[in-house]
Amino acid sequence: MRPNFFHHLHPPTIPAKQSRWRYTLGAGGTAIFLMLVLGVTGILEMFYYIPTPEQAAQSIQTISYLVPFGGLVRNLHFWAAQLFLIVTAVHLVRVVFTGSYAPARRFNYLLGLALFVFAILLDFTGYILRWDQGIQWALIVGTNLIKTIPLIGNLLYIMLTGGTQPGLATLIRFYTWHIFGLALVAIILTVWHAFRVRRDGGIAVPPPHLRTDKERITRYELVRREVLAMLFSGAALILLAAFVPAPIAGPITDINAMSGEARAPWFFLWVQQMLKWGDPFVWGVLVPLIILVVLALIPYILPKPTNPELGKWFPRSNRFAQIVLAIIALLIIVLTIFGSLPAS
Amino acid sequence: MKRWIALGSAILLIAILVAWWVNSRQPKPVVLIPTLTGKPEYCLTCHSDVPQISPSHPVKTFGCVICHGGVALALDANLAHSTLRGGANPSDLSVVQESCGGSNCHSGAAADHNNHIQRVMTSVQSTYAGAITNILYTFGAQSDLTAHYGIRVVRDSQVTTSTGVRSLEAFDPAKATNPAIQKFAANCLVCHINAQPMAGAQFARFTGCAACHTPTQTPVSSSEYGGNQRKKLIHTLTTAIPYTQCNTCHNKGNYDLRTMTFVQRSDQPLPNDRLHNYYQPIAQFTQCEYTLDCIDCHTRTEAMGDGDIHSNEAQIQNIRCKTCHGTPTQLPLTKRLTDPNDIAFRQALLNPVVNLQLGDTVLVTDQGEPLWNTRILPDGTYQLVGKATDEVFTFRPVMGSGCTQNGIDQSSAYCHTCHAVLR
Repeated sequence: MRPNFFHHLHPPTIPAKQSRWRYTLGAGGTAIFLMLVLGVTGILEMFYYIPTPEQAAQSIQTISYLVPFGGLVRNLHFWAAQLFLIVTAVHLVRVVFTGSYAPARRFNYLLGLALFVFAILLDFTGYILRWDQGIQWALIVGTNLIKTIPLIGNLLYIMLTGGTQPGLATLIRFYTWHIFGLALVAIILTVWHAFRVRRDGGIAVPPPHLRTDKERITRYELVRREVLAMLFSGAALILLAAFVPAPIAGPITDINAMSGEARAPWFFLWVQQMLKWGDPFVWGVLVPLIILVVLALIPYILPKPTNPELGKWFPRSNRFAQIVLAIIALLIIVLTIFGSLPAS
Repeated sequence: MKRWIALGSAILLIAILVAWWVNSRQPKPVVLIPTLTGKPEYCLTCHSDVPQISPSHPVKTFGCVICHGGVALALDANLAHSTLRGGANPSDLSVVQESCGGSNCHSGAAADHNNHIQRVMTSVQSTYAGAITNILYTFGAQSDLTAHYGIRVVRDSQVTTSTGVRSLEAFDPAKATNPAIQKFAANCLVCHINAQPMAGAQFARFTGCAACHTPTQTPVSSSEYGGNQRKKLIHTLTTAIPYTQCNTCHNKGNYDLRTMTFVQRSDQPLPNDRLHNYYQPIAQFTQCEYTLDCIDCHTRTEAMGDGDIHSNEAQIQNIRCKTCHGTPTQLPLTKRLTDPNDIAFRQALLNPVVNLQLGDTVLVTDQGEPLWNTRILPDGTYQLVGKATDEVFTFRPVMGSGCTQNGIDQSSAYCHTCHAVLR
C-alpha cells in the first residue's frame, strides 16, 4: 500500500508501547481533530454572525433558530471549544506526568503552553462574541481587570476595548482577535507544534540502547487509530451538540446595567473565586500570570526526567514537577468547583 | 482494527441520524414582520392561537414585541420570554410608558386627551391619594384634606382644574406613628389600579391599563346581554368594559375603619343574577344603575382621570342622576356635535355600538364631556346604548314628571329615596 497524504504526515513507524491510548490518552490528536471542527463550524458561523452590539445577539438567535442546522453548528462549535480546553489541559498534564518535556522537547513544551493560553483566550473571546446578557458581567469585570495593571493598565484597556467602555469598537476587536489574532495564529502554532514533535524525535522514548521494548507500529496502524479516535469523539461531540444547546441569553439593553448573571465563564471561575480574596490586580492578574510562568519554567528549573525513565507514566526523576503541576491543577479544580456553586 | 473502525463509523452514523432527528423536531419559525417595526419576530411560532388584541392594534401592523418586549428571534421559551415587559402584562404601570407610550400612541401627544398614560398616572385610581389623604387627616397626621401623598411620587406640570394638585410624594408607611395609619399602610395599600389583586377568582384582574381594558370576568346572566355577551378573552383590549370588570375592585365589600381591614360583602358566593350580583346587599341603587354597565354613564375622564392630580374621588366624579335626567326645572345639558374632530366620534369609533352622525345631539356633563352613547330623540325622550351590551335604553327627563325634588339637592341619595330598587 502506498502511503497517502495523511500517512505522510506521520513517521513511518513509532514505538508500540508509547502509542497506546493509556499512554498518550489520545489528547493531542483529539485536540487537532477538535480544532478542525472549530475551524469548519466557525467559518460557517461567520456567514451569519454580525459583529455589532445591536445585531450580534440577534444574529446568534438567527443562527440558532432560523438557519437550517445553524443551532447544531453553533452547538458543535461551542462544545468543541469547551472540549478543546479540557483535552489540551489533559495533554499538558500527560506531558508533565510522563516527563515528555525533557530537553530537545523543551521548546515544543513552550509552544504547547502558548497554544493552551491561546485556547483559553479563544474561548473567552468567542464567549464575548455572544454579546448578550449572559456575558455582560464577565465582559465588564474582565476588561476592568486590565485597568488594575499598574502603569499600563489604562492603555491596555483602551487598546482592548477601543474606548472608555465596551461598545462597537470592543466587539469588532474581540471578533478580529478571535479569528485573526488568535485562531489563525493558533493554527500556525499548531502546525509548528506538530512539526516539532517529529523534528524533536517523535514521541518521547528512552534512547535506543536503553529501550527494553523494541516493538513498533506502522504509520498505517497509527492513522487507523486516529481515525477511530475521530469517529468516537466525533459521535460524542455530535450527540452533545444535539442534546445540550450552547448558552444564549437576551440582548444587552444597557452595557453598564449589569443585568446578567454575575458569573465568569466556567474556565475563569477559579479566577473569579480568587477575586473574592482581595486586590483584583494581585488575584485576578498577577497570580494567574505567576502560575503561567511557573508552568513555563518547569522544563528549565525543576529536576529533569532522566533518559531511562522516558516514555512511561510518573518517572521518579521529575517527581517534583509532577507535584507542582498536580497542586496547581488541584487548586484550579477546587476553586472552579467552589466558583460554580450557587451564590449563597 | 477494521471491526473497530466499522463500529466507530456505525456509531458516528447513528449520532448524525440522531442529531438530524433532534434538529427536525425543532419548531420552524413562523416569521412576522410588523409594518411598524419592520423587524422580524418569531412569536407566532408558538402563539399563533392568540387572538388579535383589538381592531386598533392589528397584529400585522404592531406585531408582538413592540408592546410586550421579549427576545424576538428566540424559539426557546425561556429566552424568548426573558425580557418581556411586565411579565404577561406590558400595561403594568411600571413599564407602561415603554409598552404603550410614545407620541404616536398613548402619551406625549399634542392633544391632551390622548395622553392616557399621564392621565392614568395622575388619577385617583392609581395614586390612591383619596384614601391616603382621608386616613392621614382622620388620624391627625395632616391638617387639611388636600392630597400630599400617593402610592408613588407623581408630578403634574400643567394643573388645569381648581382642585388639581401639583405633586404627590410617595406615602412612606415607615414614617407613620399612629397605629391606625400603620395598619392602614399594612392592609390597605393594595387597593389601587396597579396593585396585585386580592386572592380569589372574583378579584382576578391585571394591573395597569389591563386592569380595566382586559376583561377577565364574565358578566353573569348572559341572557340579559341580549346574546351579545363578551367572551372571557385574556388577550383583549377593549373600551366595552362590562360592570363585572369594575367589580373586581368595586362593590366587593367594605373597609372597617376600626380594624383597618377589608370586609368582603356578605352574600358569598356571589348571586348569579345581575340584580343581586351588581351591588352588595347594603347598597341602594336605582334600576338604571344595575341594568346599565358602569361605563354607560361614567365617563373616561372619571375612570382614567383628567390629567390633574386630585385629592379624592369626589373631585373627579362628574356624573350624577341629573346629568341624564335633569331636574324638575331643568332639562339635562346637551350638545350638538358639529365638529368632526369631536372626541365623541373617536370614542364611538373605538366601540361602535352607535352610529354617531355629525349633527346628532348628545347629553354632556357639567364639564362638557359628551356621553357619546346617548342621543336625544325627536319626541323629547333620550336614548342610551349599552357600551358593553349594545342594548338600547330609552328614558325621560324629570321635568314634566311628578317629581318634586328640590333642584339643588341632587345627590343620588335623594333620588334613591323614591327610586331605589327593592330586591
